[in-house]
Amino acid sequence: MVMAAFAVALAAAAAAGSSSPAPLPEILLSRQLAEQASVRPGETVTIAAAANGAGAKQFRVAGIYEPTPDPMRFTSRRIEARLHLPDLLAMTATPEDPSSIEAVKAINVKLVDPKEAEAFDAALTARVPGTFSRLTARAQDGSDPFAVLERFHLAVAIVTVIGSTAFLLALMVMRAEERREIIGIVRLIGVSQRFVLLVVLAEGLLIAAAGAGFGVLVAKAAEGSVNRFFQWRYDTTLVFVRVTARIALQSIALAVPLGILAGVVGSWTLLRRDIVSLVRR
Amino acid sequence: MSAWSLAWRTVVHNPARACLAIGGVAVIGALLFNMLLLSRGLLVSFRDLLDTAGYDVRVLANEGSPIHRAPLAGAPSLAGEIERLPSVRRVALIRSDDALALPPGRDADAASVTLIGSTERQLGGAWDIVKGSTLPAEVHPGEPVPLVVSTKLAARQRLEPGSPLRIRVNLAGGASVLPSVDCRVVGIGSFTFESAYDYTVATTMAGFAAAHGAPDGKDEADLVLVASAPDAGPEAAAKAIAALRPDVRVYSNAQVVDQFNARAFSYFRQISVVLSTITLAFAFLLVATLLTMSVNQRLGEVAALRALGFPRRRIAANLLCESALLVGVGGVAALPLGGVLAIVLDRILRAMPGVPERLHFFVFEMDTVVLHAALLTATGILAALYPIWLAARLPIAATLRKEIVS
Repeated sequence: MVMAAFAVALAAAAAAGSSSPAPLPEILLSRQLAEQASVRPGETVTIAAAANGAGAKQFRVAGIYEPTPDPMRFTSRRIEARLHLPDLLAMTATPEDPSSIEAVKAINVKLVDPKEAEAFDAALTARVPGTFSRLTARAQDGSDPFAVLERFHLAVAIVTVIGSTAFLLALMVMRAEERREIIGIVRLIGVSQRFVLLVVLAEGLLIAAAGAGFGVLVAKAAEGSVNRFFQWRYDTTLVFVRVTARIALQSIALAVPLGILAGVVGSWTLLRRDIVSLVRR
Repeated sequence: MSAWSLAWRTVVHNPARACLAIGGVAVIGALLFNMLLLSRGLLVSFRDLLDTAGYDVRVLANEGSPIHRAPLAGAPSLAGEIERLPSVRRVALIRSDDALALPPGRDADAASVTLIGSTERQLGGAWDIVKGSTLPAEVHPGEPVPLVVSTKLAARQRLEPGSPLRIRVNLAGGASVLPSVDCRVVGIGSFTFESAYDYTVATTMAGFAAAHGAPDGKDEADLVLVASAPDAGPEAAAKAIAALRPDVRVYSNAQVVDQFNARAFSYFRQISVVLSTITLAFAFLLVATLLTMSVNQRLGEVAALRALGFPRRRIAANLLCESALLVGVGGVAALPLGGVLAIVLDRILRAMPGVPERLHFFVFEMDTVVLHAALLTATGILAALYPIWLAARLPIAATLRKEIVS
């Protein structure tokens, strides 16, 4: 597959149905460009590669396409058009440079075995000096901007977990305090400290599991709203938030032990106290 | 006893609970403080970075995309025209390209660098000489091309002023077929716009042209930097340049920052708004829940106070003060905690490729502290409303009876 990307200027959108007897070359416009220029399929547009309109040519709009979402460019409006390569080269080639009629900026290659990328690069450089290949996969050395963003979000998540733990502990301490007399009475009628601790553990497990499950449900429900907001804000189909099973399990795996721990720590001081002081006698 | 004293005694009566509540508010407050810093930090830092260079207007070619702009042809004559404008004080031409720096005899130490050509010998704060001298005003024929290399490159390639270095320019999109040129390091500098993953080398425009195989020089520039006259200002200078040459794009630093704000910075602004809202909601829930539980535990106490003649207003004031104590102490503790957290988060984000090392995502501003305090105050007041309502509507006799029976 051969592709080339050039900046083109939309000079004017003419009325539908060109009267030209020869069929016009076809062009695809991005949805954003079509909306901005109020152009529909079948209409004729004039395109020029130079800002001053020199060398402008007419094209028939064959269709409107949604640009492939690009996380590296989601803040910029996708004002783009796609032409057949010969049409584009005919517009951009210069008489002073005869090779420009067959020059492209990049060639997309799909390898039979992606693991052979390094060997392919070496072979390419040896056979065609002056060219180089670049992998489309994300860099693995941590310099990838998305890896950096991932680390940033992880750090924010850790801080949130610390804040939540303090919140949870405060609640559990209050809850244990509320039940001081009940625990005292239960201990007075002969229930062992170990059994009370097991009850606290079971209660913590139930509350933490229910809370974690509810949190995942809230996140899943918010996923659509967050995506819709950012997709509207940036006029893109890019997916910003995705609550995957792995993320949900990670959250539950973190929240449940924390919940149990908070319950036990909150009740620990009461369990260690002497029974008489618990019943305020 | 005043409402403050009563609130203080209530808080001190349960130190563990109070410490945990204050700790929770402090951590959440720190996160809120960070998100507020992030909402403007990059912009403030970027503006500072632009201003340190000493130029306040940028002139670019009209053609090309905003990222890959075509070079300006006839740049020296354009610079001359601009310099003659009364609103302009100083003009500099800038070119940049990717190149390979090869220390002679040590090919293994070769490094990819950004080669900058400039008409200025030392670009204000864009690079500061830390060792050696700045670029010479004139280079005699046959002399090696003078270079100022960044401190990082000097450390990596063990370069000192006077060290020889070969530079080979990479042609756009491909391996270079240009020969390397002999250069000499005249100075080692600290480059403002250098990122963590980059090495920078600066030379004269003639040196830059020589590295491109055109010793007589080319008349192209990627960028014309303009310093406006103090009495005219950057906006007037930008207008005058745009009127003089409608075929170029002219931006004042403020306009560049605006564009940056609208495009590149947009994501961080949105993230900071979303996370600020979540942290505020979290702080509200934390304080409201703790106060509500606290009131529920003290219903008998509140009813007794009311029975003794304490007015509703006094009970409300007591709860409000309790909320203010928790949020106030937590909010104050959030500032140093947020400062430390900002350093950590800033270090993470600055590892992003292409971000200048001197650019910061979190920048301290007094306005942010004021906003942080205002938001936490509003949260504290809102969080106290429900428990106040509970306490104010308490049926005195029924509550006291229930308390005695239980």
